[in-house]
Order: sequence, then structure tokens, then C-alpha cells
Amino acid sequence: MAENSEARIGVFLCHCGTNIAGSMSIDEVVDYAKTLPYVAHADQYQYMCSTPGQKKIADAIKEHNLTGIVVAACSPRLHEPTFRTATKEGGLNPFRFEMANIREQNAWVHMHGMHDESTAKAKDQVRIAVAKAALLEDLIPKSVPVEHAAMVVGAGVGGMQAALDLASAGIKTYLIEAQPTIGGRMSQLDKTFPTLDCSQCILTPKMVDVGRHPNIELLTYHEVEKVEGYIGNFDITIRKKARGVLTPTEATAKGIVGGGCNGCGDCSGVCPVIKPNPFEMGMAPRKAIYIYHAQVMPLIYTVDFDACVKCGLCVEACGEKKAIDLEMVDEFRQVKVGTVVLATGFDLIPIEEKKEWGYKRFENVINSLEFERLICASGPTGGHLVRPSDGKTPKAVGIVLCAGSRDNTGGVAKAYCSRFCCMYSLKHAHQMYEKIPGCKVYLFYMDIRSFGKAYEEFYYRIQNEGAKFIRGRVANILEDSDTKNLHVFAEDTLLGRPVDIEVDLVILAAATEPKDGANVVRKKFGVSASQDGWMLEAHPKLNPCGTTTAGVFLAGVCQGPKDIPDTVAQAEGAASAASIPIHMGEVELEPYFAMCMEELCAGCGMCVNLCPYSALALVEKDGRTVMQVTEAKCKGCGTCGGFCPGGAIKMQHFTTPQIVNQIHQFLTGGE
Amino acid sequence: MHEYAFFLGCIAPNRYPGCEASAIKTSEKVGIKLLPLKGASCCPAPGAFGSIDLNVWYAMAARNIVLAEEMKKDITLICNGCYKSIYEVNHILKHNDELRDGVNEVLKEIDMEYKGSIDVYHLAELYYDEKICGVRKIRESVTTPLTGAKIAVHYGCHLMKPKKERHFGDTENPMWLEELVEAMGAETVQYRNKMQCCGAGGGVRGYDIVHALDITNEKMINMREAGADAITEVCPFCQLQFDRGQIEIKEKFGDVYNIPVLHYNELLGLAQGMSPQDLALDLHAIDCSPFLEKVL
Repeated sequence: MAENSEARIGVFLCHCGTNIAGSMSIDEVVDYAKTLPYVAHADQYQYMCSTPGQKKIADAIKEHNLTGIVVAACSPRLHEPTFRTATKEGGLNPFRFEMANIREQNAWVHMHGMHDESTAKAKDQVRIAVAKAALLEDLIPKSVPVEHAAMVVGAGVGGMQAALDLASAGIKTYLIEAQPTIGGRMSQLDKTFPTLDCSQCILTPKMVDVGRHPNIELLTYHEVEKVEGYIGNFDITIRKKARGVLTPTEATAKGIVGGGCNGCGDCSGVCPVIKPNPFEMGMAPRKAIYIYHAQVMPLIYTVDFDACVKCGLCVEACGEKKAIDLEMVDEFRQVKVGTVVLATGFDLIPIEEKKEWGYKRFENVINSLEFERLICASGPTGGHLVRPSDGKTPKAVGIVLCAGSRDNTGGVAKAYCSRFCCMYSLKHAHQMYEKIPGCKVYLFYMDIRSFGKAYEEFYYRIQNEGAKFIRGRVANILEDSDTKNLHVFAEDTLLGRPVDIEVDLVILAAATEPKDGANVVRKKFGVSASQDGWMLEAHPKLNPCGTTTAGVFLAGVCQGPKDIPDTVAQAEGAASAASIPIHMGEVELEPYFAMCMEELCAGCGMCVNLCPYSALALVEKDGRTVMQVTEAKCKGCGTCGGFCPGGAIKMQHFTTPQIVNQIHQFLTGGE
Repeated sequence: MHEYAFFLGCIAPNRYPGCEASAIKTSEKVGIKLLPLKGASCCPAPGAFGSIDLNVWYAMAARNIVLAEEMKKDITLICNGCYKSIYEVNHILKHNDELRDGVNEVLKEIDMEYKGSIDVYHLAELYYDEKICGVRKIRESVTTPLTGAKIAVHYGCHLMKPKKERHFGDTENPMWLEELVEAMGAETVQYRNKMQCCGAGGGVRGYDIVHALDITNEKMINMREAGADAITEVCPFCQLQFDRGQIEIKEKFGDVYNIPVLHYNELLGLAQGMSPQDLALDLHAIDCSPFLEKVL
């Protein structure tokens, strides 16, 4: 057993109010700690993380000439940095600190009263922590320079805002968008609540700014292919999807003077292939060479190679501009960035799977995004709301709120609230009252969640405009096969009776879910998802923009449903957080990397193949082949250290003597 | 031959013996052998018993299941009410040790023990199951195709719901029973509110017949509007409600439909060449002869 007769350890127990002290006898644990080998001092305090608590540590180090510190308190995820700083202030290397988690891993799982078992377990935890603290070594963190560039993935309103903020702060920003145009969901909306601004009108200036900003490199129709590296030094391979059309810049680079796409649309005019336009929710046609809508940014056409028959008519129509290349293939390039903001957005759930509402079975049942396009002046009907079955203007409309949200029945349904459906449905009601005189709108709701600034006032306004609010979930919808009208069946829970309301059109305010493909992107960046599928923030309250991957931040709905103001606010937060390491110029890496003890290394190279981060390599040194660690790449996972047949790899801060001593102390119960 | 313990239930043998006869005969032609479940009692009826005392419901259903466990055969049955009781109690007891121990305490008095060693199937679901029978086998067994017949299909509530305790997938607009009917050469019609209750279940028929008939009447209107020549279902209790119910609707509300009601097995019996006499169709309240003239 490793010994360190020099070690003098200080142990500090935190009450955390009654969080810890309410479940165990702190006095008993402190008295026990004093009996442990190496322990030179043991103390307790109500809140160790407070300024007096931290001072206790610093003072004790000097007074008792301590060589290591153990704090038994909460999770190291919360206060390890706090206590390391306190340890440093006492004059020790900050890595001479070890934490025993007696709150989350003890008190909180044995709540409601004092338990002898909790006290006993805390003694074990302290003894094990002391065992490690006695063998801790001084470690010096490495600083690495941060690339003065950032990447934003997704160019909806959140991604655009994040990119604009980063770029305006003087950072070169790559804005990646999988679609041929930026703008995202917001560009599909007609008006925004509660101010009723035209969505496109407030969005297009931002789109233009993004397109013009000298620090933004706009990469539409691109996807993230591969991510390597770490905070400060992400090496990201991006796929430039074959667009089939050259931009003027690309044309010039190919020596086609004055060529490239100028957005004239001559190609689209002659294209014989017609496909549904997804921007219009499939309710309007587009050609195989297309733009989504008139305000696209950039105004560059795109060839849908899945639909294109390669007849060549467009190439002919394009003429001297020579912008169209039907043989184009995907290209890859690598960019280096310091930090990343993910803003991948959302889709609506496939609401047709909720069979009781008949979406895709009954023609006049539509979803809310389809409604947005039908009521939008630039939409397929020029802003005239019509019902799909016969093109007539609806006079009675039912809106089903919480369509698949707040729904525990499984399948496609989501237990969470999608958060913005209440408000846009109120807006939908208003838009119908505005455009269709005499129209009746019925909103079937569970609760109206008008939570934001000026939202409740908007709710009153819609009530006064005459919308009928029926508190009850819609049980099912039936179609009258002759008129294609719909009967909406629900229980009016305020009247306590079932209702059957005949309407011309039903709008399902379908639940949101993460954008198709967001999971793939998320995993490439090592970002986790919460149980509901949205990307997981580093802390739900105190770090809502960060992730558990250092240097990767979240903006907008990809982290959970939110409306436009919240999305923009979070995007600005994410951009600010992402700019900090870049402006600092360097980041400190935890010195937990592996170290090769060259005199023991046989140069077998087994570890090199095992390393999941490509951090190891074989090098020639003094005539011998030995392994070398690229410290910045090493995450300290321990795969190599655990495997090495010669025991030649030392995992710093988790050395074999340290761990063995912990196990020994646990198993021998301190005997 | 796939062998099953055949749980008869009460309504089929007592009111519609054709359901029993056709179940045994039609299944044999598609490779399913039904063995009598000797000593079986009432399932017991989920509405009548389950609404009043769940423990009695569990224990009685468990006793019927144990009879099949002793035969080492899975149970099949032809009634949605029986399905609700036997399938669901089996499902519940398999997943709730505490309840199972309680039931076994009761069964001990008659020297029985529930083990949870068998599964329960509706015969219609076995007909649809490719591994046991499948639509193709049904089609091949038909000797007298029911060409030209327009059939309205009724699934029944206890078969399909609650969804999370069943395994039929889509319970709002299922189509598999239609596929089984169309395999006999008949057409099926889609009608408004297909998944609505027949009106009888849950003890409503016994407790408030007028209310029950009101629901039935709405269903009848919808099926007539879709042009149905006959109704088919997989539950003798639904059958009773549609068949006997049409007479009661006529008496109480004055509405007349005269749409014959045949259990899926009876319909399959006809398509496989069984005579109306063998199927005891003369015991139905609504005269089946206009329908028979059309299809035979």
C-alpha cells in the first residue's frame, strides 16, 4: 500500500443548511474524521461554500500546515471550482483538493429524518476521500490558444441572431444551414404574436444583415459532417451539398466572367419537373430547380437532384451565365473554430399518428404551419384562407390546442408543453376575425398559457373579438362525407357536458419535436439530450445556454420549445457565452491527461489504437519507440491507462496508487 | 394444426349457437383446432362484475385461465367481453405479483394456482396473424364468395381499448377486420364514427336500456347511410345489441332498419359453405334471408 508519511489532511463537513445536517450526525462524522490516518484537522460549517466557509479552508492550511483538503458537501459539479480556489488561496496547489459528495449521493437519497445509515455512509465517503487526498500531487493546468472563429449551426432566427452577435463582436463566424435559404421557421409565419408584426417584414432585414456581414461566412445547403477537437480548437468538416448552381463568386473562381446565378429564374421557368414545395407545407408547387420563396437569402437557385431528370433545358435557359452544373457533387472542407452554437430548431410531430383527429384522412383538418401559409399574403392562396376540400372560405373553424402536447398516451405524443401554441392559436383566431367577417372560431383548450409580456392582454383582446373558448380536450373528429364538414367532439369541462360542434375547418396546434437530424448533429458535438429529446443544457437554471461539451452552446428551440423573443434572447446569451473563450484568447484544460512513463513503455502501440480521441502516437526517443500523448486532445478517459500491459501510463489525478488506496480504505473499513 | 383451449362464454352458446358452431368449424379449415375448456364458468362479465367487485372479477377469470394452464394450451375466444375479462386479468396478474398472490389465496380453497403460463387471444386476431393463419389462408378457405355484399364492420370497444393494454396498433381507425371480411369476397363500407360503442357494454344495456339504444340507433343510422347490407362484428354481446336492439329501437323510437347482424365466424361459415340452418341464422332477431338471397 502506498504511504505518504508527509501528508497532513484537513477535512471539512458542510451542513448545507438542513440539506445534509437534516439526515445525518455531522458531529459524529467530524469526530470520526479526526481518528483517520493523515488527518491533521477536521471541522464543520453551515455553508462551506460561503465566504467564511472558504476562509476556514485557507486559514486551516496555514495554521495546521496541511498538504491536502477534503470537503464533504455537495456534488463536485457544483462547488469543486469554489473549493479548489479556496485551497489555492491557502497556498496549496488547487489539485490538492478532493470532494466527498455526501449530499446528492447520500443525504438526498436518505431524506426525511436522521438516519444512522447516512452517518455511517458519510464516514465511508470521508475515509475514501482522505485516502485519495493523502496521495494527491501538484498539477499544472495547460492553456491552449483559442481559434478566433465560431460556428453557428442552423440559420433560423436564433442561429441568425447568434451569428450576427458573434460577428459584430469581431469574430469570424461560419453560419451553416442545411436548407438552401436562411430564415428557418419564422420565415414561414404570417404574423407574430402579440404585436401582429408581419413576420417576414421583421425577419428579412436580419436576413439581409446576415448576408452582408463581413465577418459572417454564410454556408447555406451545407451540413456538419464530422467534428474533431475540443474547445478552442474544433476541426469541423462540413459537407457542401451539391446545389447544381454556381454563385457569382464560384463562377468567377472558375473563370466564368460575369457568370453565376443572379436569381433571374429563367431556369425554373423551363424546368418540366414539378414537386411540392416544402416551404409551403407541400400546398404549392416548385420545380426541380427552385427557390423556396421570393425573399430567399442568398438568392441562388438549387437543383433537387432527387427530382431532376437532367433534360438540360435549364442549362440552355441560363445561357452565358453558365451557372448550372448538373454534374455537381458534394464537396467537403474543414474549418477550425474556437466555439460552436447549435440552433437546429424544431419540426411539428407527425400529427396524423393521433388518428382520432383525422389529419391526412379528412381534407379539412390542417396543422398550424399549413394555416400560417394559407393566411399569409405571400402564401399559395395569396392570403385567402380556404378549406382544402373545395376552396371555399370557412365560416366556422375549430382549433385543437395541445394537439399531442401535454399528452401522456405515448406514441408520437409529448408529455411537455410546446409553449407557443396557445399564443399562435390566439393569433390565428384574430387573423380569421380580421379577414373573414362573421367567422366563428372555437378554441378547444386545456389551459391558455399566455405567459409572456403583453400576452395575457392579447388573450383578453381575442376573447373580446368573440372567439369561443371551450375547455376540454377533443375526443375525436368526424367528417360529414357529403359536405366534408367536421364534427368536433369534446367534453366542455366547465359546463360538464359533451359537445359536438360542426365546423368547416379544423386547425391542429400540433406539438413540436426536435428537428429531423438534430440528433445526428448533437451526437457529433457530444451534446446530450434530455429525456424529452431536446438538447440538454449544462444547468437548467444557471447555465441554460451551455452544454456538457466545453465550447458548445445552445440557442432556441433545439434546447426546448420557446417563442421568438425567448429564442432571440437565448441566442444572444449563447453568442455572448461563445465569444468569451474567443476573446480571452486561451482556455485552461483540466490537467487530467494521460502521461507516458517512458522508462516503462515498451512501445507496443496497443494504446494508440484504443484511444477514442486520437490523442496518442508512437515516437522515436533516444533510440527507443515510446508512446506520446497530445495533452490537448486527451480527455483523461483512462482507456489507455487501464489497458497498458506494462503499467506505463499514468492517469493524472486518477493514479493507480490513489485509486487502489481508496479501494483499500473502503474494503478494510478503516481497520 | 394450432391447438387452443376454446373459451365459449355465455351469450354465444345461449343466444347465438351459430357463433359457437361456426367458430369450431371455420377455424378447423384454416388450421386452428379448438379444444373444449371443460369446467369453464362465465368470464365473468367485465361490466357486471368488474364494476362491482374487482376481486371477484380477478378470481373468477383467473379460475378460467387456470383450467387452460392445466391443459397447457393458450386460450382463444370469440367475444369481446370475454376478451376484456380473460385477456386483461391474465395481463394484470402477470404484471402484479401482489394481486396474483391475493388471487392465489382465493384459488387455494379449490386447490388451484394461477401461474401465468399461457396467453389469451381473440379468434379474430389469430385469423389475422400471419404466423397462425393470415388473410391469405382465409381467402383460400372460401368456397362461396360473398360477392356483392356490402358489410359494415364493428370492432367493439373491449377488443381495442384501453389502447395501452392492447397490442392492435391503431385503435382509432383500424382496418384489419375489414381485410378479413374482404378476404371472403365481400365489400366493406366505411361509415361515420366507426369506433363508436354498440351501446350495450359496461352494463349500460342492463342499467339504462333507452340510453343504450340511443347509442345503437346512432350507429345504425351511420351504417345504413353507408349502404350496408349486413353488419359483422366479433362479439356476441355487440351482436345481441345490434340484432335484438333493432327490434327494441322499433318499439321504443319507431325507427326500422332490418339490417342483419352476423358474427364474423358466421359470415366466414357462410363463405366456407355452411348452411344457414347449420349457423342457426333463424334464431337471429332480424331476418337474414334478404341478405342470404343476395350473396348465396
